[in-house]
Amino acid sequence: MSHLSIGIDLGTTNCALAFAKPVPDNDDISPVELFPIQQWVHVNEQRAEPLLPSFLYLASPTDFQANPAVPRAVVGALAQARGAEVPGRLVSSAKSWLCHSGVDRTAAILPAEATEGVERVSPVTASAKYLEHLRVAWEAVHPKVAGQQVLITVPASFDAVARELTEQAATQAGFKNVVLLEEPQAALYAWIERHPNWREMVGPGDYILVVDIGGGTTDFTLIAARDQGGELALERVAVGDHILLGGDNIDLALARTLEAELAGKKTKVDRLQFQALWQQARIAKENLLATDAKTDKWPITILGMGSSLIGGTIKTQLKRQQIETLLLDGFFPEVQADEMPQRRRAGLVEAGLPYAADAAVTRHLAAFLKNAGTKPTHVLFNGGVLQSALVRDRILGVLNSWCDKPVRALPGEDLMHAVARGAAYYGMARQGKGVRIRGGVPKTYYIGIESAAPAVPGFRPPLKALAVAPFGMEEGTSVRIEDREFALMVGEPAEFRFFSSAVRKKDPAGEMIDDIGRDLVEMSPIEVTLPGDMGETVRVRLEAVVTDTGQLQIWCVAADGRRWKLEFNVRERVA
Amino acid sequence: MSIGSAFSAFFSLITGKFPDAIARQYGYIKESEIPKPPPPPPLVKQSDGALQLLGILQRDSRLVDFLMEDISGYSDEQIGGAMRGVHEQCRVSLDRYLKLTPVIDGVEGTFTKLDSATGKVTKLIGNVPASGKAPGGLLRHKGWRAEKIDLPKTGMGEDLTLVAPAEIEVE
Repeated sequence: MSHLSIGIDLGTTNCALAFAKPVPDNDDISPVELFPIQQWVHVNEQRAEPLLPSFLYLASPTDFQANPAVPRAVVGALAQARGAEVPGRLVSSAKSWLCHSGVDRTAAILPAEATEGVERVSPVTASAKYLEHLRVAWEAVHPKVAGQQVLITVPASFDAVARELTEQAATQAGFKNVVLLEEPQAALYAWIERHPNWREMVGPGDYILVVDIGGGTTDFTLIAARDQGGELALERVAVGDHILLGGDNIDLALARTLEAELAGKKTKVDRLQFQALWQQARIAKENLLATDAKTDKWPITILGMGSSLIGGTIKTQLKRQQIETLLLDGFFPEVQADEMPQRRRAGLVEAGLPYAADAAVTRHLAAFLKNAGTKPTHVLFNGGVLQSALVRDRILGVLNSWCDKPVRALPGEDLMHAVARGAAYYGMARQGKGVRIRGGVPKTYYIGIESAAPAVPGFRPPLKALAVAPFGMEEGTSVRIEDREFALMVGEPAEFRFFSSAVRKKDPAGEMIDDIGRDLVEMSPIEVTLPGDMGETVRVRLEAVVTDTGQLQIWCVAADGRRWKLEFNVRERVA
Repeated sequence: MSIGSAFSAFFSLITGKFPDAIARQYGYIKESEIPKPPPPPPLVKQSDGALQLLGILQRDSRLVDFLMEDISGYSDEQIGGAMRGVHEQCRVSLDRYLKLTPVIDGVEGTFTKLDSATGKVTKLIGNVPASGKAPGGLLRHKGWRAEKIDLPKTGMGEDLTLVAPAEIEVE
């Protein structure tokens, strides 16, 4: 007996939902269907749309007076439209904040640029609102069934904290039985679902690179195809760092180009007009880059803002040449395999999201493949940006210039919905109805340990890192470091520093790293007050557990069998 | 009550005409003065759909702005540039809320037969016989029919005459 599987793509700018219904008396995998999402599109109109824009608008008392039925915290198309008019009440890119370890992600900090007096929400709550909307829209059409599985996708680069927060948001939204899945894997599942003959396209020894460029983020994953007892098995072998760079950046760059051109012609564009310009730049880009584009320039028209439509109209155009230059020189330049992305040099970075300092996606890709240490044989594209053949061809060209053997592109379709579809498929695969990608923990996790060294005034003692959860540790397994004991103070708060590395993939649990270099990234500290008598010291061993749903947990285990879970702390990181 | 008014009240009881002033003094309200509840407004007014569609076309494509603007001073190029977007958005809105289909799905300029059904929805022009009927002719215009209209439900008490609200940007 199999169960209904619901796949949710909780995107930075758009959410999608797909599902697979079990077919009674049939062991075949069920077809995956897309679910159109009912949402407010205007103040007096609800409509089902294929995507739910990931925007939350916090209405003022005078908003939406024409219709009291509109919720005060509205999500979707109406939120996006009204938010463009009143940006101080619009929550956007909540997902990017969810994985920003520099802020307290459970604190009410959004909108980041809120108007004074507007009650803010936390990135977790905002994400929960999108998920709740999806749940309510789904349940309005489909009766709740026992045993239904909900799969929510996250970037492969999400760390353990961001994953836990996503799960927390899902619980807050009223979902039960939630399993998280990495987006690039979901994209590959969608490809498998669409190509039942996929085993003829890849074989043992092949490496599939998934390049996923969405609205706000870029995500790389490398998946190996291996022979396992005569069967072709897939295993995720590397994931990239979290890169805050996506289609929105490209559209914004195009809009800035147009704005500068207009300024040269003494035409000033105000804030609302710039919003329109941004939209128009996106439409122009999509039309000019479409495979069947017949024209090489696209008119850009911003209608007059007042009631005089033609009088105030700003007219310009975007040339195909401009887009190509920006994309091919700026975002996807031809680079060498050993070129590394530029790091941010400035000591002070504006508070806000840690956007990628280097806009060149190809340089990030070079760094990823260098760390992975393996060259791909195939590439699967996913995300809105890669609907453009120009961009796909450039990435493929660059990859081929790096690799001795030709890299082939796997045909993908419906790049906007593939992740949700793949998630729904994975829900079936978990029930034994399809192929599963072996993955496990996408990074190696370390705990920081102060070395016992003589105190030097003004210096902190050197810090070492102990690997606690090795890369690739699989769901439903645990590992205990037996040969190292720690003295744990109970009954009072203790803080642990925690690191992760997507680069060091060979450190086994228990490995001590003396020099914490650039390879290790510090996460939020873990703070814990372990129940017990104050001042009592317990000797414990560390144990890492990966739950069946893929959640990483770190436990302290005493000799007498007592166990304490170390919770990821999401408080603001003290620099 | 004064003696005078007492008398007048007494006599009016006999004549059947009670003076208003006295009745009012004791808190009575003349029946003809009781405000009648206004008849319930019709749930849908004839103008509602028209106003709503006009509001939608203005909201999505700014059609009303265009129609109400004095365009005599602008060049064709200026008008054409602005109209491109208006046209596109109008089309999207019409497709969404109305289903417009040709009355006769033929090729304009070719001979088209008329039967009893198409005859009723066709306007004859040119050399029309005295009977007012014809077996067919050249299709000059395919005609349009709104096959369905699917406007969103309006909220209670929504002022549909407000085709577009005024906008004020707070600085």
